Amino acid sequence: MSIEQAESSQMLAAAAAEPAMPPPARSLIRQAYHDTLASVLARIGLAWLFMLAFFAVFAPFLADSHPYVMKVNGRWSSPALIHLTPADVLLLIATATVVVLAIWRRLSFLRSLGLIAAVVVVAAAPVYLLVRPPVNVDYSQYRDDLASGKIQKAIFAPVPYSPRDRLRDQPEARLEKPSRRHWLGTDTNGADVFSLLLHASRIALSIGFIATSISVVIGVLVGAVMGYYVGTVDLLGMRAIEIFEAIPQLFLLITITALIQDRNIYVMMAVIGATSWTGYARFLRAEFFTIRKLDYVQAAVAAGLPTRIILFRHMLANALTPILVSTTFGVASAILYESILSFLGIGLVDEASWGAMLQQARAGGAGFVLWIAIPPGAAIFLTVFAYNLVGEALRDALDPKLRKRD
Amino acid sequence: MRSIPSFAKEIETRMAQKQPLLEIKNLSVGFDTNRGLIRPVREVSLSVYPGQTVALVGESGCGKSVTALSILRLIPQPPGRVLGGQINFEGRGNLLDLSEKEMRSVRGKDIAMIFQEPMTSLNPVYTIGDQIVEAVTLHQGVSTRKAYEIAEESLNDVGISDPHRRLREYPHQMSGGMRQRVMIAMALSCKPKLLIADEPTTALDVTIQAQILELLRKLQRERGMSILLITHDLGVVAENADVVGVMYASRVVEFATVEDLFDHPQHPYTEGLFKSVPKLGSRAERLETIPGMVPNPMRFPAGCKFHPRCHRTRACAVAVESGQAIFPAGTNIPKEIAAATDSEGQRFSVLKKCATDEPTLREVKPQHWSACHVTENFEQSPASVPQLDHRREVVPMIVDEGTITV
Repeated sequence: MSIEQAESSQMLAAAAAEPAMPPPARSLIRQAYHDTLASVLARIGLAWLFMLAFFAVFAPFLADSHPYVMKVNGRWSSPALIHLTPADVLLLIATATVVVLAIWRRLSFLRSLGLIAAVVVVAAAPVYLLVRPPVNVDYSQYRDDLASGKIQKAIFAPVPYSPRDRLRDQPEARLEKPSRRHWLGTDTNGADVFSLLLHASRIALSIGFIATSISVVIGVLVGAVMGYYVGTVDLLGMRAIEIFEAIPQLFLLITITALIQDRNIYVMMAVIGATSWTGYARFLRAEFFTIRKLDYVQAAVAAGLPTRIILFRHMLANALTPILVSTTFGVASAILYESILSFLGIGLVDEASWGAMLQQARAGGAGFVLWIAIPPGAAIFLTVFAYNLVGEALRDALDPKLRKRD
Repeated sequence: MRSIPSFAKEIETRMAQKQPLLEIKNLSVGFDTNRGLIRPVREVSLSVYPGQTVALVGESGCGKSVTALSILRLIPQPPGRVLGGQINFEGRGNLLDLSEKEMRSVRGKDIAMIFQEPMTSLNPVYTIGDQIVEAVTLHQGVSTRKAYEIAEESLNDVGISDPHRRLREYPHQMSGGMRQRVMIAMALSCKPKLLIADEPTTALDVTIQAQILELLRKLQRERGMSILLITHDLGVVAENADVVGVMYASRVVEFATVEDLFDHPQHPYTEGLFKSVPKLGSRAERLETIPGMVPNPMRFPAGCKFHPRCHRTRACAVAVESGQAIFPAGTNIPKEIAAATDSEGQRFSVLKKCATDEPTLREVKPQHWSACHVTENFEQSPASVPQLDHRREVVPMIVDEGTITV
C-alpha cells in the first residue's frame, strides 16, 4: 500500500466517522465577528481599542489625586469614590452590563445593544439625582496632609494625579521632564501628562462613538427615505447632500464650533455627528436602489407590512454591510476631527484631550516639547490606525467578493 | 384561536355566498415611459367567487401579472398608474378607493400573494420563523409566542417536516420547493380569503410543481379560499382551474369554465394556444404555432390586437375575396377586406372590421365570454362583466395498477 493510498484511506475513514453535517447556521453578525477575529491585524487593533476602553472606563481609578481609601483621625473614608461624577458612575454601570452580557452570552448582538442602552437610560435619572460629588475639589490637599501627618494612612491610584491637578501653587512643577514622580513629565500648567493621556482616551472614544452614531442615524434615515421613495424625494435629498458636501467638513466644523459659546463634550459630539452623515446617506441610498426592486421587498409589501418595518427591518438589514464598515472608519475620522479642533483651540474647554495636549506641547515656547507631544500624537495615530485595521478586516469579512486572494 | 368547527362553518358560509369575492370591472393600468404611455392592462373585467380557482393565462407580457399586482395596489407609482376601472372586494368596497393604511390591512390578511421566484422571495437575513411570525403578529394581533405556534402549525400544513426546527432556519438552507412551501405557509398563515399565485411553479422542477399544486388544491378545499392563478401553462390550468380567463395584449379575450373552454374555445387565440400544445398519442411532424409575435405594447396594431396573427380573419378574408363569404349568424361584418402586415413583414388580407374595430368581451354563449367579431351571435350578445359561479367536480383519483386515471 503506497503512502498516498494510506492517506486516502485514512481520509475516507475520517469522513466515514464524521457524517457530513451541514454547518450550523450563524447569524450575519456572528459570522462577521468570527471572520473579523480571524485576521491577526484586526486582533491587534481590537486589543488596542480594548485597552483604550479599559483606560477610559477606569481612568478615575488609574489616575486620580484622591486616594482610594484614607484614614483621618482613625476614621476610614474613600475620597476617590466620593469624587466620582454621575457620568463616571453611569459609565461603570454600562460597563458592568457589558461584562455581564459578555459572560452570559444568551442575547443576540442587537438585543444586547438594546439592553445596554435601556440600562443606561433607566439608570441615568437616579444616578444624576443621587450622585453629588463635592463642588470644590482640592487636589494637592491630600499630598500636603499626608506629608504633615494629618492623614494617617492612604492608598493612592497608580498615577496619583488628576488631569486637573495642576499644581498651580508650585510653579516649578511646570514643564517638568519625565521623572519617577511624573512618568511622562508635566505640561505648561503643571498637569501630569500621563494622567492627561489616560483621561483624554475617554473623550476620544466617546466622541468617536457617539458622533458616529449620530451621523449614522441621520445618514440612515435620509438615505433610506431617498432610496425607497426615489423620484422627487431623492432628487431634492441628493441636491441637499451635494450642497452640504460642497463645503469642506473641517471649515464647516470650525465655523459651527466658533459660533458656539458654551462648548462641552455633548455639543462637540452633536456638531461632529451632524456634519459627517452625508457619506452614510449616499451609501444607503445606493444600496436601497437595488434592494427595493428585490422580490422579498415586494413580498413584504404584499404581506401588508408597514413601510417603516419594510424600510428599517427588511431592507436595512440587507444594506447594513457597507454602513457597518464605513462606521469604523467614521469613528477614526471623528476622533481626528476632535483632535484637530482641540489643537486649533476651538475644541473642548478645560477637558483633557489629545488634541489640546498637542497644543500644549507647542505653547511651551520654541518648537514642540517632546514629552508632551509624543504621547498624545502616538495615541491618536495608534487609535485611528487600530480602527482602520478593524474596519478593513470587517469589510473583508462582510464582503467576501472584495477579499484578496492569496 | 378559532376552533375548527367554527372555521368549517365559516367556510360553508363563504362557499354559500352567491356574490363574487372579487370583481374587477374595466380595469386599465398605464405606465409612463419616456416614449409615452403604455397600457399593460386595458379594460380587464373578471370575477372570482368564494372557493373558486380562476386561472389567468396568456403569453409573457400580456398583462396578467400587472393585473394581479394592481389588485393589491403593488404597481410601482410612478411610473405606473391606474387609468380607470374598479376592483371590488367583498366587504371592502373598491380597493382602488382605499387609503394606503386600509390597503395594508387588506394585504396579507384578506388577499395574500405568492410570487414566481421562491429563491428570492424570502429575506435572506432572517429566519423563516421570524418572517412568518412578523405577518401573523401584525394581522392577528397575537403574542409572539402564540404567533410562533401558528407559524409552526402553518409549516406543518404545507407539509414541511420537523417544523419546529425549520422555523429557526434561514432561507438559504432550503431548496426551491421548500421555500415555495414556506411562501405558501406565510401567505396562508393569516387565513386569507383570496390567494393570488403569480406563476407559483414556473421556477420549480416538474415533480415539485405537481406537489405544490396538489398542496394548493388541498389547502383550498380545507379552507374554502379562492385562488387567482396566474400561469402560462395550459396543463396547470386544466388540472387546477374552475374558470379560465385568457389574456392577450392586455385584454381578457375569453372567459369561460375550464371544461367549456377546453371543449369549445371561441376565440381564435385560444384555439391557437390549444393547437400549439403537443398531444399525447398523436403523431405530428411539426407542432402548430401561432404565427407572429405578441405585439409590443408601444406599437399595438389598430383594431383587434390579434388580427395580424389571426387565422380566422385571414380565412374569412380569403373567402370574401373569392366571393363565398358566409359569416356566422348574429354577426354584422361588412364584406370588406384590408391589408395587414405581420411581424416578419409578410403582407396578407384580413377583414376590415378586424383591422379597425377592437371587439370587447361579450357573453357569446351562456356562461362563455369571448372578444372576437367572427363569433356566432357576437353582435347581439351583452357586453357584461364575466361572472361564473362554477366549481369543477372533485373527482377522486383512482390509482389502477400503476396508471392514474382521473
